[in-house]
Amino acid sequence: MAENAILYDASKCSACKGCQVQCKQWNMLPSSLGKDDNEYTGSYQSKSDLDGDTRLLIEFREKEADTGIEWAFSRRACYHCTNAACADVCPVGAITKSADGVVNLDASKCVGCKYCTAACPFSVPKYREQFNVSNKCTLCNDRIAQGREPACVQTCPADALSFGPRDQVVDAGKARVAELKTAGYERAELYGEKEMGGMHVLTVAKFGLEAHGLVRDPKRGDAVDAFSIIKPLAGVGVAGVIGALGLSFLTAVGYKQPQLSLEEASEEEN
Amino acid sequence: MSGLGATFGRGAMTNHFSDFKNADVILTIGSNNAENHPVTMAWVQEARAKGGKYVVVDPRFTRSAALADMYAPLRSGTDIAFFGGLIKYIIDNELWQKSYVENYTNAAFLVKPSFAFDDATGLFTGWDDEAKAYKGVDTWKYEVEKEEPWDTSATGPYAWTQAPGVPEFTPLVNKVAKKDATLQAPNTVFQLMKKHYERYTPEMVSRITGTPVEKLLEVYETFASTGAPEKSGTILYAMGQTQHTYGSQNVRAMGVVQLLLGNIGVAGGGINALRGEANVQGSTDIGALFHILPAYLATPVASKHPTLRAWLEAETVANGYWSNKPKFFVSQLKEIYGPYATAENDYAYDMLPKLNAKNHSHIGIFESISEGIVKGMLCWGQNPAVGGPNATFAREMMAKLDWLVAVDLWETETAGFWKAPGVDSASIQTEVYLLPAAAHYEKQGTVANSGRWIQWRYKAVDAPGEAKDDFEIMHELYKKLVEKYTADGGANPEQITKLHWPYETDGHADITKVAQGMNGYTIADGKLVKNFAALKADGTTASGVWIFSGYYNNNDAPGDPSQQPTGSRGKEDPGGLGLFPKWAFSWPANRRVIYNRASCDPQGKPWNPERVLVEWDGTKWVNNDVPDFVFQVVAPDGTATPTPPNTKAFIMNPEMGGRLWAGGAAMKDGPFPEHYEPFESPVDNLLNGRNTNPALTFGSAESVKPGSADKYPIVCTTYRVTEHWQTGGMTRNIPWLAEAMPKMFCEISEELGAEKGIANGDQVRVFNERGSIEMVAMVTPRFKPFNIDGKTVHQMGMPWHWGYAGGHSTGAIANDLTPNVGDANSSIPEYKAYLVNIEKA
Repeated sequence: MAENAILYDASKCSACKGCQVQCKQWNMLPSSLGKDDNEYTGSYQSKSDLDGDTRLLIEFREKEADTGIEWAFSRRACYHCTNAACADVCPVGAITKSADGVVNLDASKCVGCKYCTAACPFSVPKYREQFNVSNKCTLCNDRIAQGREPACVQTCPADALSFGPRDQVVDAGKARVAELKTAGYERAELYGEKEMGGMHVLTVAKFGLEAHGLVRDPKRGDAVDAFSIIKPLAGVGVAGVIGALGLSFLTAVGYKQPQLSLEEASEEEN
Repeated sequence: MSGLGATFGRGAMTNHFSDFKNADVILTIGSNNAENHPVTMAWVQEARAKGGKYVVVDPRFTRSAALADMYAPLRSGTDIAFFGGLIKYIIDNELWQKSYVENYTNAAFLVKPSFAFDDATGLFTGWDDEAKAYKGVDTWKYEVEKEEPWDTSATGPYAWTQAPGVPEFTPLVNKVAKKDATLQAPNTVFQLMKKHYERYTPEMVSRITGTPVEKLLEVYETFASTGAPEKSGTILYAMGQTQHTYGSQNVRAMGVVQLLLGNIGVAGGGINALRGEANVQGSTDIGALFHILPAYLATPVASKHPTLRAWLEAETVANGYWSNKPKFFVSQLKEIYGPYATAENDYAYDMLPKLNAKNHSHIGIFESISEGIVKGMLCWGQNPAVGGPNATFAREMMAKLDWLVAVDLWETETAGFWKAPGVDSASIQTEVYLLPAAAHYEKQGTVANSGRWIQWRYKAVDAPGEAKDDFEIMHELYKKLVEKYTADGGANPEQITKLHWPYETDGHADITKVAQGMNGYTIADGKLVKNFAALKADGTTASGVWIFSGYYNNNDAPGDPSQQPTGSRGKEDPGGLGLFPKWAFSWPANRRVIYNRASCDPQGKPWNPERVLVEWDGTKWVNNDVPDFVFQVVAPDGTATPTPPNTKAFIMNPEMGGRLWAGGAAMKDGPFPEHYEPFESPVDNLLNGRNTNPALTFGSAESVKPGSADKYPIVCTTYRVTEHWQTGGMTRNIPWLAEAMPKMFCEISEELGAEKGIANGDQVRVFNERGSIEMVAMVTPRFKPFNIDGKTVHQMGMPWHWGYAGGHSTGAIANDLTPNVGDANSSIPEYKAYLVNIEKA
């Protein structure tokens, strides 16, 4: 089966959050039903990070440069890595990689051990307390199975999201970066071609990886590999044992949440 | 709307969304299309992919600016200075499209030498200081070359006026203007324009707008490059242009620029009014305004139009397509009053309500409540407690009403105005009724989008509970009123009891019958007319909305919208220009780009052979779009004779050309757009001796409570965000959308934050004489202070989506601070530039 991928072009994204809302709608994920109990994040960003009910979040980072304001938008969600640490550490086989590149999470098998969250260099899978499971993007593999695009891609009004065979997505991403460089965006980069063995969500970062909060050279924690060797031998039973040791040993070197809440922002300023 | 109509002849967006892809330059000014019309970005990106430039001019660095090839800041309310400078730049640098301007505009027309503008007083000739209006506008006229009375003889073009049944009125006289084709005479429109904008130097414009000179020139150079015949540039605008006390003149200014550059009537050009709601174009078309009836026919004014004859003589235009106005008006009266409307009773003209001297625009209604004139209110899909200007005053006025009926999807702030924070509901006597309405997917009918496409929408699901389709509510209301007036009589019961209301099937409201009535039909056989050319002034045809005529004309299936042009969904695109002629129906006559004659040179050859809308092949017109001009003459036997190219490109204007100078009664505040400061401004007008538009409306109303710059030095504006819709009823009640943008906020610059000791996330109070509201402050480099004539002027802004009603996200009402003063022509309130102060709460 050919590998598929999403291309997110941050230089075309208007940060309308249509994808973010459509993700919740298709996947039947709720938002708070309370009154006025959502947080103010300090920017147009809806919430400070992904959570158990939020698989996709549009992030906002703004900075003044010599050339003017750099308002960098990002699409924070699972990248569907080839070397998916989450799948390797999952003790119950709830997270699996399929031949088309999707890293799926089957909630019916998940035991809520949170290893995946700890192992992911991007801290993407989030714990969903109400159901005691992890939650993350599945690339809408239910839709793909029906020959449809992922919900986020279908809803994007600005063609900032596209979906197709991965080799074509890589070519399109490279071509777009070349265009942006010609147009004067010298720090433009393509993210996800090689990272983590090759991602299945690639990003055209208009102002360079750092400006968009993308992790340069993400790495799996050493323990992930060790763990993935012992896991098949030990089977499910190992979960409890390792769980007692805590999760920090799996933690990867990676995603740092930049200015994601007011408190952190003011700490940085101080 | 009023600025577009006065310039081109129709108050409508000239092009349409999918046409943006054809532009060489897209200028967004007074709109934030990436945020508020996200779907436009598909075509903006397509244009950019082909090398097009996307230029954004806005007081604030918006999400549109983030995607732009070029961004320039501009202080709110200074657009005329900006465009005046561009007009001067285009003329000085000889960048105007000569053949286009000479042939398709009124540049060569001679204006009466007594017309003048005095920059010492800031007034055009004709100002009456007592009436606070331009009264002696006979100087705002062309010099007359000759007078051509209408030929009403049996073989003449106006023979129809003599047919039996046509109301009597004196045939008009077409006054043909004197011209100087060399454009050299000092009183040609061209020379007057050149002189008028002489003062608008880049330095002067920069001192007013706060746009740095080099940025200004960069934008001017880029946009003016579309003056090359084969190039096209489009302007996207929205409420940022219109919601000013000179909003109609802002639009006029864009019109002048686009005519000079030859950008009207061409693919990828135009002035594109991005409407604030899905059906705002449609609402305007069907006359949901106080001063126009459906299809841009004037609402009768008691003093001016006491009789049908007076109306016809005053409103019919002596030359151009509006000379047919009597046909459209009589047909409309026939649809309103049906068999009761006869030639003998002037087609029931007397039954139509007439305007008196009072201005009953949105602002005026609340003034009239305050004066005790208006005692009851039907608020249908409107939420003035949040959406109107000076909303605190509006809510106070609602408490003076005897009764209020709100028709809406939710209990809005208006429906629950007595629940506003701080209000003592026990002291309010108003009887309030809330009628639950069906949402758009719970009913069927048409929506006319910004690009004039009238598209039929089908009902997807039943409305919940007791909620009803708006039309069903209206239908039941109609029946009750007739019952009541028939039983009890009243002052003038015939106005209601004689209404023609055939809009039901088996006793139930039937919207497809309304569609048929709007399209028009011949009364004798009830057959739908093919288009508005079939309408007559003799009472034999009926049509509620003549401009829509042709959108619902299939006599084979009158009850089936999918078999009608408005329901058609063909995806063919001849010419590859995104015209999609078989997708729905675009008024008028399914023309996708109006004034498309101007896409060709006078000989009929397209300025750009890659973008062919219409073309004269030597013997006939070859068309991708429906021609918006006389392209053939059809004889009674059906033989069509092609009409060779002429220069009549703007058929709705008596000049047959676009108006660089809009004289006569076209505009209430001057034939040329002139810069004035907003009603509340921190600076004096540098360009003339008058600070504010002399003809603005409601400026002296007590409720306005103007604030002075020494107490309120900060310019504030309001806007919308992608995540919410209007007053928030439809978004703050949906958890996903409430979460997407959860809090009311204001945006201020880092510099203003530092000055006031406000950090990002602080709770702040924003206030002026009209109100005081609290919210969280978003301190951002995307707002920058302006340097206005050497002085630092801060600007801030806030969205107006929040209020106290709703389940998931509530917040302060931005419009508690906006002034209830109006534009001279349309009375649209000045939401987009006013004064405030701010402090940490």
